[in-house]
Amino acid sequence: MKVSFPHMGNAYIALSALLSNLGAEVIVPPRPTRKTIEMGALHAPEFVCLPFKVNLGDNFQALSMGADTLAMVSGTWACRFGYYGRVQHQILRDAGYEFDSILLGRDGVGAVYNKFADTVDGNLALGWLRAYRSFGAKARAVDALESKAREIRPFERDAGATTAALSNSLSLVHDSGSVKATGSALDHGLELMDAVDVERKDEPLHIAVLGEIYAVLEPALNFDIERRLGDMGVMAHPVMTVYKWLFRPLKTDPSILFEERRARKVTRPYIAYVLGGEEHQTIAGTIDAARKGYDGVIHVFPFTCMPESVCRAILPQIEREYDIPVLNLCLDEHASPTGVETRLEAFTDLLRQRRRKKPRKPA
Amino acid sequence: MLKVGIPRALSYYRYFPFFKTLLEGLGTEVVLSRPTGKRLLEDGVRHCVDDICVPVKLFYGHVLELKDRVDRLFITRLVSVEKSDSDTYTCPKLIGLPDMIRSSVEGLPPVIEFVIDVQNRSLRSSTRRLGEALNASPSLIKKAFSRSLDVQARYDEKLLGGLTPEDAMEAVFSGNGSSDGVPAGSGDGPTPDLNIALIGHEYLLHDHFISHNLPGRLSRLGCDVEYITQVPPDVIESELARYPGISWSYEKELLGAASHFLHREDIDGVMLVVCFACGPDSIVGEIIEREVRTESSPPLTTLVLDEHTGQAGVATRVEAFVDLIRRSRGKP
Repeated sequence: MKVSFPHMGNAYIALSALLSNLGAEVIVPPRPTRKTIEMGALHAPEFVCLPFKVNLGDNFQALSMGADTLAMVSGTWACRFGYYGRVQHQILRDAGYEFDSILLGRDGVGAVYNKFADTVDGNLALGWLRAYRSFGAKARAVDALESKAREIRPFERDAGATTAALSNSLSLVHDSGSVKATGSALDHGLELMDAVDVERKDEPLHIAVLGEIYAVLEPALNFDIERRLGDMGVMAHPVMTVYKWLFRPLKTDPSILFEERRARKVTRPYIAYVLGGEEHQTIAGTIDAARKGYDGVIHVFPFTCMPESVCRAILPQIEREYDIPVLNLCLDEHASPTGVETRLEAFTDLLRQRRRKKPRKPA
Repeated sequence: MLKVGIPRALSYYRYFPFFKTLLEGLGTEVVLSRPTGKRLLEDGVRHCVDDICVPVKLFYGHVLELKDRVDRLFITRLVSVEKSDSDTYTCPKLIGLPDMIRSSVEGLPPVIEFVIDVQNRSLRSSTRRLGEALNASPSLIKKAFSRSLDVQARYDEKLLGGLTPEDAMEAVFSGNGSSDGVPAGSGDGPTPDLNIALIGHEYLLHDHFISHNLPGRLSRLGCDVEYITQVPPDVIESELARYPGISWSYEKELLGAASHFLHREDIDGVMLVVCFACGPDSIVGEIIEREVRTESSPPLTTLVLDEHTGQAGVATRVEAFVDLIRRSRGKP
């Protein structure tokens, strides 16, 4: 079985570990580029949200690389994400590709569990256990490396040194086999990051990055906003991480569940009903950013995203109430890196001026 | 008398007879916003988030038109509009609509929020809360509620019989008010020789300003129009059983009706009317085209509307669609 799945930030590292431990050959499509997005947009419905188009482009590339099975999560939610797998796979079949679908959520846990009965090496249950452990170890390792990079990037002496160290460390983790090897790959990676030459600078600007989860996590969609901010000497604080996204539906990590519940509670006065997206993370994240004394918030979301459009209408009220500046970035396949760069520069300039007038209160 | 304003948008098309009877039964005066016009739309667009669908922008426009001439503003929170065994929702924008309005429109009169969550039988509890907010006695609430259900049932029957919401309301209220606007489909055209099914959200199809009077246009071209509202709920339910489930309640109707019309012999063409940036429709439109339509289905076209759609554009596309159907059947 040659299995593939769409990209979402660095989630492919943990997902590849999961699938390869189940005996499947994993086809990782190249990281999405403008070309991927164009290919997806060509075949996708006109005004579907951008992640759909990027994912579809990923699938096209995976199939042309020889994948014979495509995996996707699926569900019947208020957000369109639940229908991605169903519609994308139909589009691909109509385009003439033949492949097997794994729609996690719609196919049922049992069906997905047994799918790997023929490929797994030895006992199926033990295979899943091994896969899950490796998946968890790699997800945590990626998370640790990403947050390390976030901390040092604003202070690096040589531009781009952190990004290079991060990408080397991530490939160490990706290439590691056993859980033990992942552990030492992580240690080695952290050493690489520590070796990045840093200089003391003034306290950097702190900006929370939040909004639609894929827009926050996928550099291809948000023009690598985290790196861009870091290069500008700004400390970015994404509200969501790949680790949280992967482990939230598994409900194994109590701290994620607790945070979810708290975010819902904070959001309720502003949005009384659950909308089915990341609206609670957006609203609660903005309020938290103000409470933690961050300088600003960047709200990124794909054009036509339904839950985030509601947030977009409500955020100005929170901006006033909590006195925190919010930059809304609504992105689609026509957005340009220069446009985003200009807006980021203008926003950070504004925040620096604001900081001069009103010194940052300690966190 | 306390004036309660109801925006002529979104839930108006489906539930207005219920709201009107209920609010009048509770001793208030119902004020309806004016039919959509250019100014109203422009106001809505200015006050609303840029990248949102036109029905929400229209709703803003109607709220702005109403807010200074009423004592209370009646806003519905549409959570689900059909009974179903599984969980269903409307679009997140409709669920969050009252929150959006409260956050982004200044100088609002006190808002009465009415939750419509049909699957959770919210009509009764929402009515009770509404009555309490208006200081009505429990017996009055009960009386008004049962009368409004009757009126709504009569209205639904009229819709099922093929009337447009406007005509159906006029029939139900026997001509007192709420009949302004261009009547749709009044027979000033040639004798109809084509049966065209119109599917789309009623708040889009029957807003004559934004749909450029699509139903009337079709009948002038010699088409009999069948509306999505003419498909009985049990037919929709049985049609839906043929496809994997979806959970948007408005779109379930779209999918069920599309499947019904696309498998009917006496339908000559199906028009799917959606608005630009509609989230659920972007998916369901694709499902209809790829899963529902078959080789033997009547022609299907999708008409995308937004606030920039020109009348000439709509006219050209509708005419082209009708001409093509006629040509293909050798009926010049």
